[in-house]
Amino acid sequence: MGPLSREAWAQRLSAFRASPSTSMAGPEGEDLGRDLLSDLRSEKLSEQTKVSLLALSLEYPAQLWPDAATAEAAATSLLDTLVLLPPRPSALRRPLLLAATTALAVGGALGPTSEASCRLLPLLLGLAMGRDLGRGFGPTSEQRPLQATACECLRELESCKPGLLGGSLGLLRSLLGQEGPVQPLSLLLALALRNTLVLQSRAGAGLQGLLMTKVFPTGSGPWDWTLTEDDTHLQPQIPSWPAAERECGAAALEPSLEEAKELRAAVAQLLDTSYLLTPVAQAQLLWLLGWALRGLRGQPPALFKPQLVRLLGTAQLTLLHAVLALKAAFGEALFTAQDEALLLRRLTLAAQHPSLSPPTHLFYLHCLLSFPENCPLGPEGEEAAPLLLGPRLCHGLLPSLLHDPMALLARLHLLCLLCAEDEEEEKGQIQTPQRYLQELLAGLQQRAALDGGPRALATLCFQASYLVARYLGGQPLVLTPLIHGLAKLYRARPVLAPHFVDLLDQVGPELGEPLRVMLWQEVVSRRGTDEALCWHLQLLAKVVDGDSQSATLSFLQDAAAYCTDWVLQQALLRVCRALLRVSGGGGLADLLQALARQLEDPDGRDHARLYYILLAHLAGPKLGVALGPSLAAPALASSLVAENQGFAAALMVQEAPAPIRLSLGPSRAEGPLPVLQLQVEVLQPIYSLELRFQVEGQLYAPLEAIHVPCLCPGRPAQPLLLPLQPRCPAPAQLDVRALYTTPTGLTCHSHLPPLSVNFADLFLPFPQPPEGSRQSFFEDLWDSCLPKGAESRVWCPLGPQGVKPFVSRHLEPFVVVAQPPTRYCIAIRLPPDSRLLLQLDSAQADGVPVALRTDDWAVLPLAGDYLRGLSAAV
Amino acid sequence: MAQRAVWLVSHEPGTPLGGTVRFSRRYPTVEKRARIFNGASYVPIPEDGPFLKAVLFELRLLDDDKDFMESRDSCSHINKTSIYGLTVGGEELWPVVAFLKNSMIYACVPLVEQTLSPHPPLINISGISQGFELLFGIQDFLYSGQKSDSELNAKLNQLPDLLLQACPFGTMLDANFQNSLDNINFASVTHPQKQPAWRAGTYKGKPQVSISITEKVKSMQYDKQDIADTWQVVGTVTCKVPVPPILGFYQVKEEEVQLKIAINLKLHESVKNNFEFCEAHIPFYNRGPITHLEYKISFGQLEVFREKSLLIWVIGQKFPKSMEINLSGTITFGTKNQEKQPFDQICIGGTAYLKLHFKILDYTLTGCYADQHSVQVFASGKPKISTHRKLISSDYYIWNSKAPAPVTYGSLLL
Repeated sequence: MGPLSREAWAQRLSAFRASPSTSMAGPEGEDLGRDLLSDLRSEKLSEQTKVSLLALSLEYPAQLWPDAATAEAAATSLLDTLVLLPPRPSALRRPLLLAATTALAVGGALGPTSEASCRLLPLLLGLAMGRDLGRGFGPTSEQRPLQATACECLRELESCKPGLLGGSLGLLRSLLGQEGPVQPLSLLLALALRNTLVLQSRAGAGLQGLLMTKVFPTGSGPWDWTLTEDDTHLQPQIPSWPAAERECGAAALEPSLEEAKELRAAVAQLLDTSYLLTPVAQAQLLWLLGWALRGLRGQPPALFKPQLVRLLGTAQLTLLHAVLALKAAFGEALFTAQDEALLLRRLTLAAQHPSLSPPTHLFYLHCLLSFPENCPLGPEGEEAAPLLLGPRLCHGLLPSLLHDPMALLARLHLLCLLCAEDEEEEKGQIQTPQRYLQELLAGLQQRAALDGGPRALATLCFQASYLVARYLGGQPLVLTPLIHGLAKLYRARPVLAPHFVDLLDQVGPELGEPLRVMLWQEVVSRRGTDEALCWHLQLLAKVVDGDSQSATLSFLQDAAAYCTDWVLQQALLRVCRALLRVSGGGGLADLLQALARQLEDPDGRDHARLYYILLAHLAGPKLGVALGPSLAAPALASSLVAENQGFAAALMVQEAPAPIRLSLGPSRAEGPLPVLQLQVEVLQPIYSLELRFQVEGQLYAPLEAIHVPCLCPGRPAQPLLLPLQPRCPAPAQLDVRALYTTPTGLTCHSHLPPLSVNFADLFLPFPQPPEGSRQSFFEDLWDSCLPKGAESRVWCPLGPQGVKPFVSRHLEPFVVVAQPPTRYCIAIRLPPDSRLLLQLDSAQADGVPVALRTDDWAVLPLAGDYLRGLSAAV
Repeated sequence: MAQRAVWLVSHEPGTPLGGTVRFSRRYPTVEKRARIFNGASYVPIPEDGPFLKAVLFELRLLDDDKDFMESRDSCSHINKTSIYGLTVGGEELWPVVAFLKNSMIYACVPLVEQTLSPHPPLINISGISQGFELLFGIQDFLYSGQKSDSELNAKLNQLPDLLLQACPFGTMLDANFQNSLDNINFASVTHPQKQPAWRAGTYKGKPQVSISITEKVKSMQYDKQDIADTWQVVGTVTCKVPVPPILGFYQVKEEEVQLKIAINLKLHESVKNNFEFCEAHIPFYNRGPITHLEYKISFGQLEVFREKSLLIWVIGQKFPKSMEINLSGTITFGTKNQEKQPFDQICIGGTAYLKLHFKILDYTLTGCYADQHSVQVFASGKPKISTHRKLISSDYYIWNSKAPAPVTYGSLLL
């Protein structure tokens, strides 16, 4: 594509500026950077057009040349263009230097491996030194402005890559002493000095005579990059505020005597000529030098003293700000108590001086409340009125209704701080600032009450109330009239209800609670037929509580008749809902029932009915949860649907992982039926626990559920008793489910791991016969088993302790005849109507033969397994 | 101390967007540093479109204040300085220095050389005052001698070149844009001698020194027992003054549908009775148009602006020999029309004022003057020296003494 015309470029540039992202995504986006570079050399375009091309590249290099490689190529091309310019005056040299600098710095290409960097840096330094760079660099008339520009470029590169000019400090210093342009060289030297001091102190090195070296760093070899550091470690420049200093950890550097002398000389040289700089540049110099000296041990800030004589009286915003920075940095070491008082007086006057603009006033007021005092009393970082700033000095800074909102709030803040101090000091006296504050608030309320007035006026009144509540929450003398005034404001303009709700949300209880009560009275004392009913209901939903419900209810009853549209009905129901949360009671139930019949809108009726059902069926805490904030999306068609989503969570049973662990305790072996003892542990408090059991295979009759009112972790619980009604004497699996309520009020359902009922858990003893007839009782049982039943013999191995402990451990309750150590007769009842009889006879050292009989042949394998299991346990 | 971006936005109420970005300039090298310094709290500079929307909203300049909006109207959302946090793309761009002046929003974003969360105190950020100076500099440049829209446009077109001179990399070199303009125009002049660094060129004209003393007098007069009248004179020299130049009272009584007013003004005998002009403006706020007026006047003429509900009493160049003048009358108002008649937040009910506008040349209340023969100039060449004095009224109010009036703290008699 050939070069574009001036008009085409103008169009392309303005399209790009309107939205760079859209433009870059367009068809010509990618080519823009390339076209721009090539058209800079076109002979058809005027210099003015080329300057606007360069201006674009100064603003959007990251979009035009997004990575290091393209940025490097762009910088090279820009430098080539610069060299190729004919040796006559041209407006392009300066922007070309700026553009090449920007491209390298932004593209991340600046570094020892970048050829463009290695061309640009010596070029800039040469220009800054005022060297004759040959005819390519234009007529001598352009040398001076180019010299300044080169300094600016170097300063920007040094800012982006601290330490870059560390090796040129001595050179820059000597230039400043000669004929170089004072401002650019001063700022460049100050920045390079500051950066070098910070970097060297972090590296634990000294200045290494850097201030003395006057060699051109590229005299013969390449640029010295050794003093730079990775730009990801840029250090905060904010000089010397205590917090900032700690954060960046500028270790104190202690220069040698010789170095300290040189350093002092360099700083003094910079300060001595600083008056020649523009005010904004002077301010930059002071911030930089303040930072540079702050980290140095043994460098008295007295070097600044001669400048302070001049600067304490400055009318320049930037300079006064820089003086405050020095004040914070050096405190008493540089500023006497008189200086401090003078600064405060000046700030106080500047904060109200008629010839300064309102934004300046506000900034000075901020500076006053954040003033770096020599001996601060309050906590760090909190706004406070400085000690020396007495009420007399503040007179002119107090708010009045004539101020614009921002000034009024800023001044009101100061007044609040004064009132807070005043109370501490002069309790009991006529509290004048308080009285003034009262009148001011009354004025604000009067303005906010103005019918049809702009919302900003109301907002201002509530902002002021908020500030007062925040700073003077403990002063009833201020709060009481404020609360009455606000109630009066509501009476005059109920349309401000959303502001009242917001205020109640934001302030603490000192203002919030009495105001809430007052507003509640204000609303319910009206007849519910007011035009402003909608606002009353909105506010009432915020201010109702459980007390004096009857007044609220009668207001609502009156109001209900006038709630003819959906919006009003919803507002009414919101109040009911708020009442449900805080109290309840018969009156509310009646109202809800009436609403469920009477409201015109079906959604409203459904809603009222739902509330009534909830009120009738749920206990207080559960109701609170059910009516808690809903997570439902607000844009659903029916508010009932929306709210139901909120209820769903609260009222429906939720599936949840079990916070309960059940285990079987020792069996009881008594009574007519086997009873399981269940040990229960919980991981969280649970309430109203219901455990349901189901037997697999219908081996037992259906089991009753167990109910427990409350269980807490760590608190030992009684074992739960679960009676079994076996239909046949067999072991079984019990399926267990739990239903319970969590502390948050949700009802949950969990499936627990199944419980195994073992064969032995079903064992019951026979009733004990009298002492003399036991042998015959057993023998009768033994004989009655056959022929219907079955008989078997098992060898049961014993442990080293013999047969006696074996029996007493496993079979003790069932022993009918015991003749230790050799013979035991054991009779076990197995519900519903089976028996198992064991005879242990002539026990030997390692085991005992067991004869067993049962009247139910199906029991025999189970009994065999049981005995083998006992042996295996040995 | 550098700026990440600068904007000028004209505020155009009633248009769909509410305004237009008239100028913007971004500083990518500064932006790169911001990304590193701010770390995780870094929020990039938005494009002009989103910025426009965010700044108009935050400065409450969009027209829709019908409904309460928490993000704007909440009582805890308090701005006490002209430094804002703008919500852009769900994130907070902070600190944005911004103010509205003559329907133009001036805005910039200073670099903060540390993390932004929590916000560091403003006083610790060097770029804040630098940003203010940059914006004030642009404002001075745009409005110095500018009278028409086309002149404003011409100056806006000059801004890119000017910023290239005065603030090439986002760090300001000079807040006085006139100097930069001189630099552009005289860029080719070499200068051998040592001179202030910001002036690369020299001014070629007749050397001239003009000393002008302008005093502005403010006053609040209440005519009440428990409230003291106040007055304040400010100028190049500020001194305490024994009396306000014109003392007076203003009484308004509401009688059914009519207002009865009575005004008395007295010029202090020590004040030079030779005005360039002197007028009393008597506005009636929050009422309908003036439908009927009967009045008696001892001196001067009364002009009636019925639709604006305003009376202007033109007193002229001199007070009469008695130094005292009176006006009394009854006024009837029609039905209020919110659109046409002026609305005021303070003049509610009986609260009302009259405001004096006057100017006296070759006179100062303080007696302060510059002696043209005693001015010494330490420079080569002999500049012509001229001196001027004048007294101008500024916020000179006399409040209705029959109703409450807004009181400034100093005037409470304690």
